[in-house]
Amino acid sequence: MQAPNRGTSNAAAGRTGCLRPRSCTCGTDIVVAAARGSYGTVPVSGTGASGNRRSLIRPHMFALRVPFPSPLEAEIAHGSLSPDVEPHQGVIEKELTVRGNVLAIKWTAEDARLLRISIINCLEHLSLVLRTMQHFGPPISR
Amino acid sequence: MPAVLGFEGSANKVGVGVVRDGKVLANPRRTYVTPPGTGFLPGDTARHHRAVILDLLREALTEAGLTSHDIDCIAYTKGPGMGAPLVSVAIVARTVAQLWNKPLLGVNHCIGHIEMGRLITGATSPTVLYVSGGNTQVIAYSERRYRIFGETIDIAVGNCLDRFARVLKISNDPSPGYNIEQMAKRGKKLVELPYTVKGMDVSFSGILSFIEDVAQRMLATGECTPEDLCFSLQETVFAMLVEITERAMAHCGSQEALIVGGVGCNLRLQEMMETMCQERGAKLFATDERFCIDNGAMIAHAGWEMFQAGHRTPIRDSGITQRYRTDEVEVTWRD
Repeated sequence: MQAPNRGTSNAAAGRTGCLRPRSCTCGTDIVVAAARGSYGTVPVSGTGASGNRRSLIRPHMFALRVPFPSPLEAEIAHGSLSPDVEPHQGVIEKELTVRGNVLAIKWTAEDARLLRISIINCLEHLSLVLRTMQHFGPPISR
Repeated sequence: MPAVLGFEGSANKVGVGVVRDGKVLANPRRTYVTPPGTGFLPGDTARHHRAVILDLLREALTEAGLTSHDIDCIAYTKGPGMGAPLVSVAIVARTVAQLWNKPLLGVNHCIGHIEMGRLITGATSPTVLYVSGGNTQVIAYSERRYRIFGETIDIAVGNCLDRFARVLKISNDPSPGYNIEQMAKRGKKLVELPYTVKGMDVSFSGILSFIEDVAQRMLATGECTPEDLCFSLQETVFAMLVEITERAMAHCGSQEALIVGGVGCNLRLQEMMETMCQERGAKLFATDERFCIDNGAMIAHAGWEMFQAGHRTPIRDSGITQRYRTDEVEVTWRD
């Protein structure tokens, strides 16, 4: 099995705070918001409580905010990362939005393991988008 | 004179090609090879593709002598194939399409093979035998669709060969099928295996189970050699493929046959198909390993045909799909 080349995953395990990609010329920072939610089973009340039921079923949440040098680049990243359907749709949901020059990614999940896998895959794909932008950007002005 | 960039990575090969008006300007490719006795898993394959794809893109542009300004359209494999590798490659295609502000085109992998086969060989309206590690179909064009006349009802013929190679720990370099072919040439004894043609269709999973079992027993007793097993498996599965292709040709009254897909590189398969075609007074077309095996240029060329016919894939509809039937695409670029 071939080892991945330099420049793929830059995730620092077990740290909160800033992750700074190596040799990144566009100055993108990835700010990791603290994971919230409990681990282990969350008892769901049998009475079918209203608005809170959904967040009880998906107790694990994770959010990333990725600032880009310009709104256009944030839109491009959104365009590249949003079309593919996330596996395990019933158990985990991932939402991508763009506000200004920031790409926001938010997860809600029933299962902590699937959440971890999804986050890792998303970071790999995000890294791929960044490397592509570094080597074949900057974007043509519209 | 549009120039189209094509990205392919649905299995363990990743390639980037450039095609302009039926001329292949560049077609670099890398293969993810795993140790003998193992197959390639989606996550590892995707990781391999991510590691090399940008270098391939750079190579393709340099070899073609083009810059991003010269490219008119970005084509990529929308499906079918393995999810994780498809996603990784599609992400790069979407990113460059947006960076360079060019239209995007999602291409069906099977149609990529067919269109490249037609381009390279000049076959006009052949019955197509599409055989690879992931697909086994007999296809003929009719009224704006590539219709599937016959197919495997379980695993692809290449999958059967690849998994058999694992049992014998045959090397995967350059591909297990190639090594089986070389060993088969030294086979002397024909071991009888199940022959499972089902009307227009074929089945391979039973043959695989049988030969995996037989291999254990017969190699232990010395009743036959690994070469004999390779020879016997090829003779059996290839005869089945020739039969269903002939059946489709008889239905269509077709005078041309075209073999595409990785297994199409196999010279014994080509030889057997040639015999059948000669008996029918038909002509056989086949390509070499540059185009039989998954490559970027086939996606670029199919993309070129689609682009000329006005197809476009909006970014929000550009998601990959692991299941994508050949007859789902409306082939508007042919009459």
